[in-house]
Amino acid sequence: MGMTIGVDHVEGDPPVAVVTLDGELDASNYEGVIDAVRQAYAGGARGLVLDMAGVSFMASSGLFALHSAVRIMRGDTPPDPEAGWGALHEMSVDHEGEGGKVRIAAAQDAIARVLDRTGMTKLFGMSDSRDDAVAAIQEG
Amino acid sequence: MVVKVGQAPHRRRWLTVSSDADRLAEVRAFVRKAVADFGGSKRASDDLVQAVDEATCNVMLHGYAGKPGEIEIEAALRDRNIEIRILDRAPSFNPTVGPDAGTTSPARPTRPGGMGMGIHLLRTMVDAVHHSARSDGGNELTLVRSIEDQAQED
Repeated sequence: MGMTIGVDHVEGDPPVAVVTLDGELDASNYEGVIDAVRQAYAGGARGLVLDMAGVSFMASSGLFALHSAVRIMRGDTPPDPEAGWGALHEMSVDHEGEGGKVRIAAAQDAIARVLDRTGMTKLFGMSDSRDDAVAAIQEG
Repeated sequence: MVVKVGQAPHRRRWLTVSSDADRLAEVRAFVRKAVADFGGSKRASDDLVQAVDEATCNVMLHGYAGKPGEIEIEAALRDRNIEIRILDRAPSFNPTVGPDAGTTSPARPTRPGGMGMGIHLLRTMVDAVHHSARSDGGNELTLVRSIEDQAQED
Protein backbone atom coordinates (compact mmCIF):
# COMPACT_ATOMS: atom_id res chain seq x y z
CA MET A 1 0.00 0.00 0.00
CA GLY A 2 1.39 3.36 -0.97
CA MET A 3 0.62 6.76 0.34
CA THR A 4 -1.08 9.79 -1.16
CA ILE A 5 -0.33 13.34 -0.08
CA GLY A 6 -2.68 16.27 -0.52
CA VAL A 7 -2.07 19.90 0.41
CA ASP A 8 -4.69 22.58 1.12
CA HIS A 9 -3.94 26.17 2.04
CA VAL A 10 -5.99 28.03 4.64
CA GLU A 11 -5.71 31.81 4.62
CA GLY A 12 -5.44 33.67 7.89
CA ASP A 13 -2.83 34.61 10.46
CA PRO A 14 -0.70 32.71 10.10
CA PRO A 15 -1.46 31.08 6.75
CA VAL A 16 -1.75 27.35 7.36
CA ALA A 17 -0.99 24.42 5.09
CA VAL A 18 -3.04 21.29 5.73
CA VAL A 19 -1.10 18.27 4.53
CA THR A 20 -3.40 15.26 4.28
CA LEU A 21 -1.71 11.88 4.35
CA ASP A 22 -3.50 8.70 3.31
CA GLY A 23 -1.95 5.25 3.45
CA GLU A 24 1.12 3.81 5.16
CA LEU A 25 4.05 6.06 5.98
CA ASP A 26 7.31 4.15 5.80
CA ALA A 27 10.90 4.23 4.57
CA SER A 28 9.80 4.08 0.95
CA ASN A 29 7.74 7.28 0.96
CA TYR A 30 8.59 9.50 3.97
CA GLU A 31 10.63 11.85 1.79
CA GLY A 32 7.45 12.81 -0.04
CA VAL A 33 6.08 14.25 3.20
CA ILE A 34 9.21 16.33 3.69
CA ASP A 35 8.99 17.61 0.12
CA ALA A 36 5.32 18.56 0.55
CA VAL A 37 6.07 20.52 3.72
CA ARG A 38 9.04 22.19 2.13
CA GLN A 39 6.88 23.34 -0.79
CA ALA A 40 4.15 24.55 1.55
CA TYR A 41 6.64 26.64 3.50
CA ALA A 42 8.09 28.03 0.29
CA GLY A 43 4.53 28.93 -0.72
CA GLY A 44 4.08 31.08 2.37
CA ALA A 45 2.56 28.74 4.95
CA ARG A 46 3.70 29.50 8.50
CA GLY A 47 1.47 27.01 10.26
CA LEU A 48 1.14 23.32 9.45
CA VAL A 49 -1.52 20.70 10.10
CA LEU A 50 -0.67 17.10 9.34
CA ASP A 51 -4.03 15.38 8.89
CA MET A 52 -3.26 11.75 9.68
CA ALA A 53 -6.80 10.36 9.79
CA GLY A 54 -5.99 8.17 6.81
CA VAL A 55 -2.62 6.94 8.03
CA SER A 56 -2.89 3.34 9.23
CA PHE A 57 0.83 2.75 9.82
CA MET A 58 3.84 4.92 10.58
CA ALA A 59 7.41 3.66 10.80
CA SER A 60 10.27 5.45 12.52
CA SER A 61 11.08 7.01 9.16
CA GLY A 62 7.72 8.75 9.50
CA LEU A 63 8.84 10.17 12.82
CA PHE A 64 11.85 11.54 11.02
CA ALA A 65 9.55 13.18 8.47
CA LEU A 66 7.52 14.78 11.27
CA HIS A 67 10.67 16.11 12.86
CA SER A 68 11.74 17.48 9.50
CA ALA A 69 8.37 19.22 9.17
CA VAL A 70 8.91 21.07 12.43
CA ARG A 71 12.35 22.18 11.36
CA ILE A 72 11.16 23.35 7.95
CA MET A 73 8.30 25.36 9.46
CA ARG A 74 10.83 27.05 11.70
CA GLY A 75 12.76 28.08 8.65
CA ASP A 76 15.56 25.66 9.50
CA THR A 77 17.06 22.92 7.41
CA PRO A 78 15.65 19.42 7.97
CA PRO A 79 17.60 17.29 10.46
CA ASP A 80 20.41 15.05 9.42
CA PRO A 81 19.07 11.53 8.87
CA GLU A 82 22.28 10.24 10.45
CA ALA A 83 21.45 11.92 13.73
CA GLY A 84 18.83 9.40 14.88
CA TRP A 85 17.77 9.90 18.45
CA GLY A 86 20.09 12.83 18.79
CA ALA A 87 17.87 14.68 16.35
CA LEU A 88 14.75 13.84 18.31
CA HIS A 89 16.25 15.05 21.55
CA GLU A 90 17.38 18.15 19.77
CA MET A 91 13.79 18.64 18.69
CA SER A 92 12.55 18.50 22.25
CA VAL A 93 14.77 21.49 22.91
CA ASP A 94 13.70 23.12 19.65
CA HIS A 95 10.08 22.79 20.58
CA GLU A 96 10.30 24.94 23.68
CA GLY A 97 8.92 28.27 22.59
CA GLU A 98 7.85 26.88 19.24
CA GLY A 99 4.31 28.10 19.83
CA GLY A 100 2.49 25.07 18.48
CA LYS A 101 2.54 26.05 14.82
CA VAL A 102 2.69 22.42 13.79
CA ARG A 103 -0.18 20.17 14.81
CA ILE A 104 -1.16 16.58 14.12
CA ALA A 105 -4.87 16.01 13.51
CA ALA A 106 -6.99 12.88 13.86
CA ALA A 107 -4.22 10.36 14.48
CA GLN A 108 -5.46 6.77 14.69
CA ASP A 109 -4.73 4.80 17.86
CA ALA A 110 -1.77 2.92 16.38
CA ILE A 111 -0.19 6.18 15.23
CA ALA A 112 -0.81 7.90 18.54
CA ARG A 113 0.82 4.95 20.28
CA VAL A 114 3.98 5.30 18.20
CA LEU A 115 4.09 9.02 18.93
CA ASP A 116 3.58 8.33 22.62
CA ARG A 117 6.17 5.58 22.87
CA THR A 118 8.80 7.82 21.33
CA GLY A 119 7.89 10.84 23.43
CA MET A 120 6.75 12.83 20.42
CA THR A 121 3.26 13.57 21.69
CA LYS A 122 4.98 16.14 23.86
CA LEU A 123 6.45 17.82 20.82
CA PHE A 124 3.40 18.38 18.64
CA GLY A 125 0.02 19.86 19.28
CA MET A 126 -2.56 17.09 18.90
CA SER A 127 -6.09 17.84 17.68
CA ASP A 128 -9.12 15.66 17.04
CA SER A 129 -9.79 17.16 13.61
CA ARG A 130 -8.11 19.27 10.98
CA ASP A 131 -10.52 22.14 11.62
CA ASP A 132 -9.70 22.10 15.32
CA ALA A 133 -6.00 22.05 14.46
CA VAL A 134 -6.24 25.02 12.12
CA ALA A 135 -8.24 26.95 14.70
CA ALA A 136 -5.71 26.15 17.43
CA ILE A 137 -2.89 27.52 15.29
CA GLN A 138 -4.65 30.66 14.11
CA GLU A 139 -6.27 31.46 17.43
CA GLY A 140 -3.28 30.46 19.50
CA MET B 1 11.97 -8.47 -7.27
CA VAL B 2 11.95 -11.72 -5.40
CA VAL B 3 8.90 -12.65 -3.36
CA LYS B 4 8.18 -16.12 -2.09
CA VAL B 5 5.33 -17.01 0.19
CA GLY B 6 4.81 -20.34 1.81
CA GLN B 7 2.76 -22.11 4.40
CA ALA B 8 3.39 -25.32 6.22
CA PRO B 9 1.52 -27.39 8.77
CA HIS B 10 1.86 -26.60 12.46
CA ARG B 11 0.90 -22.99 11.99
CA ARG B 12 4.14 -21.81 10.43
CA ARG B 13 4.44 -19.60 7.37
CA TRP B 14 7.15 -17.64 5.70
CA LEU B 15 7.95 -14.90 3.22
CA THR B 16 11.13 -14.06 1.35
CA VAL B 17 11.67 -10.56 -0.04
CA SER B 18 14.53 -8.79 -1.72
CA SER B 19 16.23 -5.93 0.12
CA ASP B 20 14.13 -3.05 -1.18
CA ALA B 21 12.15 -0.56 0.91
CA ASP B 22 9.32 -0.82 -1.61
CA ARG B 23 8.82 -4.40 -0.36
CA LEU B 24 8.06 -3.31 3.23
CA ALA B 25 4.32 -3.06 2.51
CA GLU B 26 4.33 -6.75 1.54
CA VAL B 27 6.15 -7.60 4.76
CA ARG B 28 3.53 -5.76 6.81
CA ALA B 29 0.70 -7.46 4.94
CA PHE B 30 2.31 -10.84 5.59
CA VAL B 31 2.54 -10.14 9.33
CA ARG B 32 -1.05 -8.89 9.52
CA LYS B 33 -2.30 -12.00 7.77
CA ALA B 34 -0.25 -14.33 9.95
CA VAL B 35 -1.37 -12.70 13.20
CA ALA B 36 -5.01 -12.79 12.06
CA ASP B 37 -4.72 -16.46 11.12
CA PHE B 38 -3.20 -17.19 14.53
CA GLY B 39 -6.11 -15.47 16.26
CA GLY B 40 -4.07 -12.57 17.57
CA SER B 41 -5.64 -9.35 18.76
CA LYS B 42 -5.66 -6.10 16.78
CA ARG B 43 -3.19 -4.67 19.28
CA ALA B 44 -0.89 -7.67 18.87
CA SER B 45 -1.07 -7.23 15.11
CA ASP B 46 -0.28 -3.52 15.28
CA ASP B 47 2.69 -4.11 17.58
CA LEU B 48 4.15 -6.95 15.54
CA VAL B 49 3.67 -5.12 12.25
CA GLN B 50 5.54 -2.15 13.70
CA ALA B 51 8.34 -4.26 15.14
CA VAL B 52 8.86 -6.38 12.03
CA ASP B 53 8.81 -3.34 9.76
CA GLU B 54 11.46 -1.63 11.88
CA ALA B 55 13.65 -4.73 12.02
CA THR B 56 13.32 -5.48 8.32
CA CYS B 57 13.91 -1.86 7.33
CA ASN B 58 17.00 -1.90 9.53
CA VAL B 59 18.38 -4.86 7.62
CA MET B 60 17.61 -3.25 4.26
CA LEU B 61 19.01 0.20 4.99
CA HIS B 62 21.87 -0.60 7.34
CA GLY B 63 22.62 -4.29 6.94
CA TYR B 64 22.64 -4.69 3.19
CA ALA B 65 23.07 -0.90 2.83
CA GLY B 66 21.85 -0.74 -0.74
CA LYS B 67 23.49 -3.96 -1.86
CA PRO B 68 21.36 -6.83 -3.15
CA GLY B 69 20.22 -9.37 -0.60
CA GLU B 70 17.32 -11.43 0.61
CA ILE B 71 15.40 -11.38 3.86
CA GLU B 72 13.43 -14.37 5.08
CA ILE B 73 10.58 -13.86 7.52
CA GLU B 74 8.97 -16.77 9.32
CA ALA B 75 5.93 -16.58 11.56
CA ALA B 76 4.85 -19.32 13.93
CA LEU B 77 2.42 -19.75 16.81
CA ARG B 78 3.82 -21.46 19.89
CA ASP B 79 1.44 -21.78 22.83
CA ARG B 80 -0.07 -18.33 23.10
CA ASN B 81 2.91 -16.50 21.62
CA ILE B 82 3.66 -15.47 18.07
CA GLU B 83 7.30 -15.89 17.10
CA ILE B 84 8.64 -14.10 14.07
CA ARG B 85 12.13 -14.88 12.82
CA ILE B 86 13.92 -12.49 10.48
CA LEU B 87 16.92 -13.97 8.72
CA ASP B 88 19.44 -12.19 6.51
CA ARG B 89 22.96 -12.49 5.13
CA ALA B 90 24.04 -8.98 6.06
CA PRO B 91 26.99 -8.19 8.35
CA SER B 92 26.32 -9.22 11.91
CA PHE B 93 24.51 -6.70 14.10
CA ASN B 94 22.74 -7.31 17.37
CA PRO B 95 19.98 -4.80 18.08
CA THR B 96 19.29 -6.33 21.49
CA VAL B 97 22.45 -4.85 23.00
CA GLY B 98 23.73 -1.32 23.23
CA PRO B 99 22.15 1.79 24.67
CA ASP B 100 18.39 1.90 24.85
CA ALA B 101 17.15 5.00 23.12
CA GLY B 102 15.04 6.33 25.94
CA THR B 103 12.96 9.42 25.49
CA THR B 104 14.12 11.34 28.53
CA SER B 105 17.87 11.40 28.12
CA PRO B 106 20.07 11.81 25.07
CA ALA B 107 21.11 8.55 23.46
CA ARG B 108 23.59 8.05 20.70
CA PRO B 109 22.74 6.12 17.56
CA THR B 110 23.79 2.52 18.05
CA ARG B 111 25.40 2.48 14.61
CA PRO B 112 25.84 4.81 11.67
CA GLY B 113 22.71 5.64 9.79
CA GLY B 114 20.58 7.20 12.47
CA MET B 115 19.81 3.93 14.22
CA GLY B 116 17.96 4.10 17.47
CA MET B 117 14.39 5.22 16.90
CA GLY B 118 13.37 2.07 15.08
CA ILE B 119 15.20 -0.18 17.50
CA HIS B 120 13.57 1.54 20.45
CA LEU B 121 10.15 1.06 18.89
CA LEU B 122 10.93 -2.57 18.13
CA ARG B 123 11.89 -3.24 21.74
CA THR B 124 8.76 -1.63 23.13
CA MET B 125 6.37 -3.46 20.83
CA VAL B 126 7.24 -7.06 21.67
CA ASP B 127 7.76 -9.18 24.76
CA ALA B 128 11.18 -10.53 23.81
CA VAL B 129 13.88 -10.03 21.19
CA HIS B 130 16.62 -12.57 20.56
CA HIS B 131 19.55 -12.21 18.18
CA SER B 132 22.07 -14.74 17.00
CA ALA B 133 24.72 -14.64 14.32
CA ARG B 134 24.16 -17.37 11.74
CA SER B 135 27.03 -19.79 11.58
CA ASP B 136 27.28 -19.43 7.84
CA GLY B 137 26.94 -15.66 7.84
CA GLY B 138 24.15 -13.21 8.57
CA ASN B 139 21.71 -12.60 11.37
CA GLU B 140 18.72 -14.30 12.90
CA LEU B 141 16.43 -12.03 14.88
CA THR B 142 13.47 -13.51 16.74
CA LEU B 143 10.60 -11.38 17.97
CA VAL B 144 8.13 -12.86 20.45
CA ARG B 145 4.80 -11.38 21.43
CA SER B 146 1.73 -12.69 23.16
CA ILE B 147 -1.32 -12.98 20.93
CA GLU B 148 -3.31 -11.26 23.66
CA ASP B 149 -4.31 -7.64 23.56
CA GLN B 150 -1.59 -6.40 25.89
CA ALA B 151 2.07 -7.23 25.52
CA GLN B 152 3.32 -9.13 28.53
CA GLU B 153 5.58 -6.27 29.56
CA ASP B 154 2.97 -3.60 28.92
